Amino acid sequence: MSITVTAEIRRFDPSRDSEPRYDRFQVTGAENMRVLDVIRSIYEEQAGDLAFQFACRIGRCGTCAVRVNGTPVLACQERCKSHMRIEPLTPFPVLRDLVIDRSEIEERYAGLALAPSRETAHPGRPEPIDPKLAEHICHLDSCLACMVCVSACPAVEERPFDGPAFMLKLRQMAEHPADRTDRLQQAVGAGMLECFGCDVCTQLCPADLSPAQAIREFRKELLFGGRG
Amino acid sequence: MNQAIALPRNTTRQAEALLHGEIARILHRITGAVVVIFVLVHVLAQAVLHAPALASLKAGAPWLPVLQSQHWIHAVLYFSIAFHTLYGLKLLAVDLGARLDYRRSLWVIIGLSAVIGIREVLRYAGI
Repeated sequence: MSITVTAEIRRFDPSRDSEPRYDRFQVTGAENMRVLDVIRSIYEEQAGDLAFQFACRIGRCGTCAVRVNGTPVLACQERCKSHMRIEPLTPFPVLRDLVIDRSEIEERYAGLALAPSRETAHPGRPEPIDPKLAEHICHLDSCLACMVCVSACPAVEERPFDGPAFMLKLRQMAEHPADRTDRLQQAVGAGMLECFGCDVCTQLCPADLSPAQAIREFRKELLFGGRG
Repeated sequence: MNQAIALPRNTTRQAEALLHGEIARILHRITGAVVVIFVLVHVLAQAVLHAPALASLKAGAPWLPVLQSQHWIHAVLYFSIAFHTLYGLKLLAVDLGARLDYRRSLWVIIGLSAVIGIREVLRYAGI
C-alpha cells in the first residue's frame, strides 16, 4: 500500500529570510514510512537546500526531533500522516529550517554538572550498589536529550522553567549514591516548582521515561526530606 | 524503582494522540475560572435580588431569577467544582507520593464530575 503525503515544512534562514514561510511538498511512498523518510525524500528530490538533522534513524540519538502538527516527535519513529505540518522544535532558536541551535541546551547541561561529585576520593574500584537502584539509574540514563518533553511542556512556555529533561537528569544524579551535590536545590533553581504536573512529558517521551515522576520525587523530597 | 531499562518506542503515532495532560491542564483552568466567575456573579446577583437599595436594578432585570434556575448552569457549575477539586487533590496526592496513572485518573475524575453535573440536571428535571 502506498500513500501520498502532503507536507508543509517551515522554512527559515535567519541570514536570508525576514520571516519564516511554509513550503508545501507532496511525497508518495509506503504507507508505513516515517516522518523522516518524508523529509529525506523531499530533500533528495524536491528541495536540496532543506536543512534537517538526523543520525541513528532508530530512535536512539534524539537528533531528528521535530514538531508534527504541533506535537513534538522523533521524526525517525513517527508514522507519517496524509497531511503534516512539520516545524522545528520550540522554544529553541532556529539555525535553519528544521535545525535548532542546541548550544543553550548543552550549556544548561554543563551548568548542572551532571556527573557524581564525591565527598571523598574515589576508592579506585567499583563501589557496591543495590542492583535495583542501579537498574533505576540506568533507566533514568536512557534519556535521549531529544528535547521533545521540553518542547511539549506547557510550563516551559509560560513560566521560568528549564524543562522536564533537565529535571530527569538531575533526578538521576540525586539517586546516585556517590553524588553529594544538592540536586534538589539545583532543581528548584531550574524552576522545578513551576511544573504543572500534567504528564505531557511522560506521554510524549520517546524513551518511555517519566520526567514528571522525577519532579514528583523531588517535590516529595522537598516536603519530607531525604532521598525520595 | 523496578522499571526495566527503556528501549525507544518504535513506530509512534504521537502526532495523532490525545494529549491527556493538555486536556487536564486546560480543563483545570477553565473549571477554576468558572468557579471564580460564578462566585463573583452569584454575590452580585444575590445583592441585586435581596438588597433593598438595589431594588431598582432588580426591577430592570426580570431575567435574573430565571437565569439562576437554569439547570445547565448548575450542571456546569457542579461539574467545574467537582473537577477542579478532584484534579487538585490528585495533583496533591501524586506530589505526596501516590502513584496514579495520569490517563486513568483523568478519565475517572472527568467521569465522577460528569456524574455530579448530570445529577444536577436530573434533580431539576425532578428525576
